Amino acid sequence: MNCLQAEEHFSAHLEDTLDYQTLQGFEEHIAECEACQHEYARFQESVKAVQELPQIEPSPYFMSTLQQRLATEQRQPRGVKEIAVTGWRRLLDTLRRPKWAFSGMVALILAAAGTYFYQEGPLFNRDSHQVSVAPTSQRQQIVPLPEMFPSAQQPRRLVGDNSQLQQRSVRSTPAQPMHQRYMLKQVSYTNVSTSGGL
Amino acid sequence: MPELDDELMERYQKGDENAFTLLVRRHQQPLINFIARFINDKDSAEDLAQETFIRIFKAANRYKSEGAHFKTWMYHIASNLCKNELRNRGRRDRYRVDNVVNTGSDSDGDTEQVDLIASAPANSDFQPEVALERKELRNAIQKAIAELPEQYRLPLVLRDLQGLSYDEISEVLELRSGTTKSRINRARLMLKEKLKPFI
Ligand SMILES: [Zn+2]
Repeated sequence: MNCLQAEEHFSAHLEDTLDYQTLQGFEEHIAECEACQHEYARFQESVKAVQELPQIEPSPYFMSTLQQRLATEQRQPRGVKEIAVTGWRRLLDTLRRPKWAFSGMVALILAAAGTYFYQEGPLFNRDSHQVSVAPTSQRQQIVPLPEMFPSAQQPRRLVGDNSQLQQRSVRSTPAQPMHQRYMLKQVSYTNVSTSGGL
Repeated sequence: MPELDDELMERYQKGDENAFTLLVRRHQQPLINFIARFINDKDSAEDLAQETFIRIFKAANRYKSEGAHFKTWMYHIASNLCKNELRNRGRRDRYRVDNVVNTGSDSDGDTEQVDLIASAPANSDFQPEVALERKELRNAIQKAIAELPEQYRLPLVLRDLQGLSYDEISEVLELRSGTTKSRINRARLMLKEKLKPFI
């Protein structure tokens, strides 16, 4: 056994897990190599010093903080993203069934038409040159909804913003196409799950 | 006592909230010590320990007492959280933390150092000079551990500071037993060199 090989066995010798043959070879080398005797002594001392480091104790608030965090986790068992995904899946599954496909389509068309006419009123009753400021700025706010909002309560706040914005008007902004308005208005009465893909 | 951990997990799965509190009480101190020593940051250790317990709490239904061992499962989750934390920290940030926790300076304003000393076992024949030497040595050891490459530091902390067996460490780190043994020996040899001025 040479010095490098002996070094490989320092831990095993210290913890008394060497097999008989290796133990013999190790102890023979150590007995005749002063350098290894010295290094092994330092090895033992340094392991001992590490093992004697004091234990770090938790603060008195550890348990109460953890309980608060757990309570919050329990109140919000699923992330909005997850809800959005499962919501979409459920909708698609329903539409895939032939029995529901037709009525589903009809419902969607009716919803779209309803949205369109719902919005026609306030927008077009005004001066024909004044149109909502909404087209691009609001669209940017609404599209990333599922990622942006951690809970389903927040879209309601957005609806408030919507109506405020819609009351403001700007001269000679071209009227936005129907699908944009549909998208904006849809947020006001559908949940997060369906607004995700619109 | 692993049997008690399994029983507590089982009770918790059946809706006994108190069982989870008992599990936390049993393991919070070693877990915080492990994280603080491994990432060299006492302040973040509590947060990461809580995150570990939250993960355990969320995955409780998947816990199978016959396969997994609670302790190794807990350290496995904590190790991964710590590795992510270290990865997410910028180089500059890590350097800053190292300075805060590890510098060998004995400024009284360094509360981290004071805390580490405060948690040391009480010494009846207190000698300021000896205490200062011991404190310097402890700082040097913690600094040396922090400087070890992660793949050596992690098994070393689990072995020499947490007292896990080689089999348990292999389970936590998903390593072959031979690899675990040689990494721990290598880590100890590196520490011996780093501590040359002190030992
Ligand atoms: Zn030798």
